[in-house]
Amino acid sequence: MPGKPVENINSPQSFNLVDMDIWVIIPAYNEEKIIGEVLEELFSRGLKLVIIDDGSIDRTYQIARNILDSNPGRGYLYKHPINRGLGATLKTGIEVSLAKGADIMVTFDADGQHNPDDILPVCQPIIRGHADVVIGVRDFDDMPGVKKVSNQLMNLITRIFYGASVKDSQSGLRAFNRNAAVALDIESREYGISSEIIREIKHKELKMEEVPIETIYTDYAMAKGTNLKVGIKILVRMIKDALK
Amino acid sequence: MALMLYQYIGIIIGIVGLIYSFIRFRESKMSLGMLLIWSVVWIVLIFLSIFPDATVYFADLTGIGRGLDVILILGLIGCFYLIFRIYNKIENIEQEITHIAREIALQQENIGSKEKKDEEN
Repeated sequence: MPGKPVENINSPQSFNLVDMDIWVIIPAYNEEKIIGEVLEELFSRGLKLVIIDDGSIDRTYQIARNILDSNPGRGYLYKHPINRGLGATLKTGIEVSLAKGADIMVTFDADGQHNPDDILPVCQPIIRGHADVVIGVRDFDDMPGVKKVSNQLMNLITRIFYGASVKDSQSGLRAFNRNAAVALDIESREYGISSEIIREIKHKELKMEEVPIETIYTDYAMAKGTNLKVGIKILVRMIKDALK
Repeated sequence: MALMLYQYIGIIIGIVGLIYSFIRFRESKMSLGMLLIWSVVWIVLIFLSIFPDATVYFADLTGIGRGLDVILILGLIGCFYLIFRIYNKIENIEQEITHIAREIALQQENIGSKEKKDEEN
């Protein structure tokens, strides 16, 4: 599907030159303040979007609806009638993208912490056939202290319970090819999804690559994502998985 | 043999439990398996209330020592088991709710964008 014309053929935004159908999955829960901006940025790069509103109680859905209507045919919007968590939302997004014939699925947080310019580099290993899954790795040194420690802790926990050693287990920017998306057997409804994806990569022996990405830590994004309470929940989940 | 107060209480709770279990079963709110398990629990409760000395046999058997301790320990284990079952059940229900939420979302594709859908058709 043609996007907007590409000014610079060598720019990382040259998605038109990619002979694969890339869909960006955006899980959104109460992101009315920022989702408009995020969606416009992605659309301006000619990307196709699957937006899943996870039962937001603010204007997230309407804002996404309006932007989608002004970019007809370039995205889909779905809404869970009630909040079911990040994991459930990503799973809905992956199901939709598979049904729409996506070759590559990229998960992209709606809170504005990712740089849209990172999408193509994250897809590259899949386009070249080197990988089934790519995880965008944030630079931990850029993170505020609390985030850094909690992310390192989650890496450690992921290693202990799933035996998978990755640089950034909680990253929200990832890419899957169809093969990987079909193979993923994920059940976590909440933030545990990130670690569960890592587990699945290991269990299903998917080829994984890690690509450095930029993280934009705004005050807004800081208040979201993995905090201590969520971390404990993920830990309990992992202990349960380990006992299965 | 005069019964102590706790024995009456035990017997009454056992009978109420039995009746309640049967009603739940008759209303199809309890499976046959669960009815059997619960019936055994209530009957054992009634039996032990009438013959508390029987617990001494179990106490000797398990080496726990006192009859009452055996009952308390068994009760605790039973409670943990039930909590475990309830936890699993809730987990299953959560997953089913998620499944329904997803189905509803998928069925209502692009809702609120009627004009656009009409254009496409």
